[in-house]
Amino acid sequence: MTYLDSKEPPKREQRLKACISYAGTVCGMANKTKNCSLNDGERSFSQGSICLLLPALAMINSLPDNVTILHAAIGCGSCAHSQNANARSGGSVRWGQVKDALWLSTALNESDVIGGGEDKLERAIIEADVLYRPATITVVAGCVPGIIGDDIDGVVERIQPRISARLIPVHCEGFKTKIWATAYDAVYHGLGRKLLEEPEPDKLLIYDEFEEAKEKVRRGKTVNLMNVSSMGRGDELELTRLLNALGLEVNIFPVFARQEEMYKVTQAALSVSTCPTHDDYFVKYLEEKFNIPYLLKHMPIGIENTSLWVKEIACFFGLAELADKLLSEETAELKVALEEFLPLFQGKTVFVGAGEFRALATARLLQELGFEVVGIRSYHHDEFAVGEYEKLAASSPKDFVLNIANVQPFEEANLLRKLQPDVFLGHWNGNGTAAKLGIATHVIYNTGLGYIGYSGVYELARRLARQLKNPLFNRKLKKHVSLPYAEQWYDSDPFKYIKAQGDDDNA
Amino acid sequence: MTLTALPETIPIVHAPAGCVGSITWTQNGGSGLQVGGYCGGMSVPSTNVQERDVIFGGNERLHEQIKTTLEVMEGKLFVVITGCVTELIGDDVRSEVSEFRKDGVAIVAAETGGFKGNSYDGYDIVMQSLAKDYVKPCQTKRKGKVNILGIVPYMDVFWRGNLEGVRKLLAKLNLDVNTFFTPEDTLEGLENSASAELNIVVSSSYGIEAAKTYEEVHGIPYLTTGLPIGPTATDRFLREIARVLSLDRAWVERVIAEENRVYYSYMDTLVDCYNDLDLQKYAVVIGDANYAPAITEFLADDLGWLPELVVFTDQIKEGQEDLFEDLLENLESGLKPNLIFETNTSQVIGHLNRLYPKNGSHKYVKTFSPAFVVGSSFDRELALAIKAPHLSVTFPVANRAVLDRGYTGYRGGLRLAEDLLSAVVVGR
Repeated sequence: MTYLDSKEPPKREQRLKACISYAGTVCGMANKTKNCSLNDGERSFSQGSICLLLPALAMINSLPDNVTILHAAIGCGSCAHSQNANARSGGSVRWGQVKDALWLSTALNESDVIGGGEDKLERAIIEADVLYRPATITVVAGCVPGIIGDDIDGVVERIQPRISARLIPVHCEGFKTKIWATAYDAVYHGLGRKLLEEPEPDKLLIYDEFEEAKEKVRRGKTVNLMNVSSMGRGDELELTRLLNALGLEVNIFPVFARQEEMYKVTQAALSVSTCPTHDDYFVKYLEEKFNIPYLLKHMPIGIENTSLWVKEIACFFGLAELADKLLSEETAELKVALEEFLPLFQGKTVFVGAGEFRALATARLLQELGFEVVGIRSYHHDEFAVGEYEKLAASSPKDFVLNIANVQPFEEANLLRKLQPDVFLGHWNGNGTAAKLGIATHVIYNTGLGYIGYSGVYELARRLARQLKNPLFNRKLKKHVSLPYAEQWYDSDPFKYIKAQGDDDNA
Repeated sequence: MTLTALPETIPIVHAPAGCVGSITWTQNGGSGLQVGGYCGGMSVPSTNVQERDVIFGGNERLHEQIKTTLEVMEGKLFVVITGCVTELIGDDVRSEVSEFRKDGVAIVAAETGGFKGNSYDGYDIVMQSLAKDYVKPCQTKRKGKVNILGIVPYMDVFWRGNLEGVRKLLAKLNLDVNTFFTPEDTLEGLENSASAELNIVVSSSYGIEAAKTYEEVHGIPYLTTGLPIGPTATDRFLREIARVLSLDRAWVERVIAEENRVYYSYMDTLVDCYNDLDLQKYAVVIGDANYAPAITEFLADDLGWLPELVVFTDQIKEGQEDLFEDLLENLESGLKPNLIFETNTSQVIGHLNRLYPKNGSHKYVKTFSPAFVVGSSFDRELALAIKAPHLSVTFPVANRAVLDRGYTGYRGGLRLAEDLLSAVVVGR
């Protein structure tokens, strides 16, 4: 019995005890118990955030030849306007075709809320199938069906025989989990349940034993490279380059994966995560169901982490020596290239905020470039990042503030005003606060830019040098634009509104 | 989106965490690179209700959130808006808000659950609540003071420029124009908007419910005009307002004549290239209920183009088709564009193929060329398919950076002509 046998994946706060409200320091976190059982608190003041629907759609809308049907009110899924840019450019760099993602909505209205929306969904599926003839139709449930009790799995099961596209239900009822990383589980759950079936092999006239043997060898050297929707093609190519240099082949999954080739993920020798927070649910499933071992430890961002990531894979295949040689060449070459930037970075202070693993690995990278990290905000916390905190605690001369927050820029504004870092790196739609405080800023992921592997280190350094060379846009913003916080807020404890579990609600 | 565009206003979203992010991402992708504002984007306070609140009710959480928002955020007006979840579970937002009102807090509530409609409807719902519960009653109307309704911030990507265009235009008639949402507007403008003698709704669809509320609550009559883009529509717009406000007719005609003189002295220098480059085009116009008719009229009656197919992308309520058909009944050029209602713009090409069937084997074919597509960034695929240049004007506008640009008035017509023709000659 695996998680994938049920209709919906469990939420992460249950499965992993993941949390979103915490204030402390990096060393403090590193010293916590290894199994990370922070009791999550609540905020008595909060700002909006995202829900699992957003990252889920970013993954789903990357799939070629897919139509997404939001079973929700009309506003759900409009986030895809932003993600569509990635669908367009991602398709273009991968197969030379610029194409908009297709997302439709059942636009549940007041009468559907009363009478139920299942019939409407059924009609929408039929219409999408006829209009677009897609390979897959992903049916994504928002909050409303979760409350009025529409059974999207039931609809899908009932109607699949009449539909030529493969139907994939994905549960994204935003109110059900506060950990948006549950999105990755939700999408993997849908793909895993519906799309991994191997097609019938062609009946060959002559059975070719040699071909068979070649295929076996190839599979024995193939790695599932689990990509994330925040990773661009350039980053994929960098990791592919490094693994190819070890004589390994890569099978990239799941973002931008073609439906007809998805089954290959069940035939590799090893699954390798590029972001442990992203992949644990699925790589564990691949192990349970298909006996494919996995590596789920490092994120290949920064020099040390990239080397650890490659080395671990190499060791699995008994290629440690080859890897040592490769890595020493790569890092030597990179260090020479980085030299010209280092004096500019030396001693500059930096603050990082993003998804947990990304924030931590990027912070470590910035230390490697000579920056002093003075604060980190992770968007949630779970057990996978424990090792990263340990790495950072060991490599930081001074302890610094750590804030677990699902965005919450008011805490960020307070911290930044106090810390006044030279540079801030933040999530998509997450640099505005720092920019308006006059701090040089840079986005922590953008699929058009390189961040990962050795080339990512160089490219990020080059971009940070550019930001530091002329931060005037932000400086002038600070003079003329104000943030929406009361002046006394900046004098308060930045974590004033985090209530530990069990606190009196009115405290 | 409406609230984040108001000055010194703090929205409080009573909904799960994702609703705020969803709006932010929507703006990021669809609103010409404009996200946020003073208290917009990811800064918007939100109760982030969870499963527990769905079961036990979210009122307590809302009460706490309002209280803390007043501590943390700097604003003069607070507006609680609801999402699908909190409306379905039946939270009593109004009573929660009225408690704070009793203590003198400027706070208003609006029920904006997504199943009630789209963002255009949200504008009306919010403006209605503000008109009822925030705008100060005022019996004496000020002569020459008007409010502008009907332009939905961010959904009209050019909202600030368009409002500014209308304001500058009406200032020429010595009117005192309140546009609510531009950087020159203040919250006092909204608070004192009941002293206007007229509400001008520059839309045949949006803002009308708000105007009706103003009429009921504050006794302000309203006029609906459509979005005035370019000289033909703007001439009519000014005359209509002059008529309703009983302005001196001769003087208004002098203003109109002067504005046309300026418009056409700019056009003067275009004439040679307009002819040499054969810049007259067939056009497909795809847009919301504001832009589709306004751009069609500009193309047909000012630029002298042939808008053959006009697509309204709004969800039109049954029986309302006539209303929109009437908008294009009386083009001065006498053109009768084909009008369709289609919320799914990926289907527009099918409609075009039906109008212009491909007869590949014939020697002489009346093709849809030279053509232009004016629509949203979704319509780039259509433009590509028919090998036509394209301009994004209606939401989503993913492929343009928009700050203060607007298309209303005479000046707006010049802007639109520049943008259309620039798209034609970009490779020259």
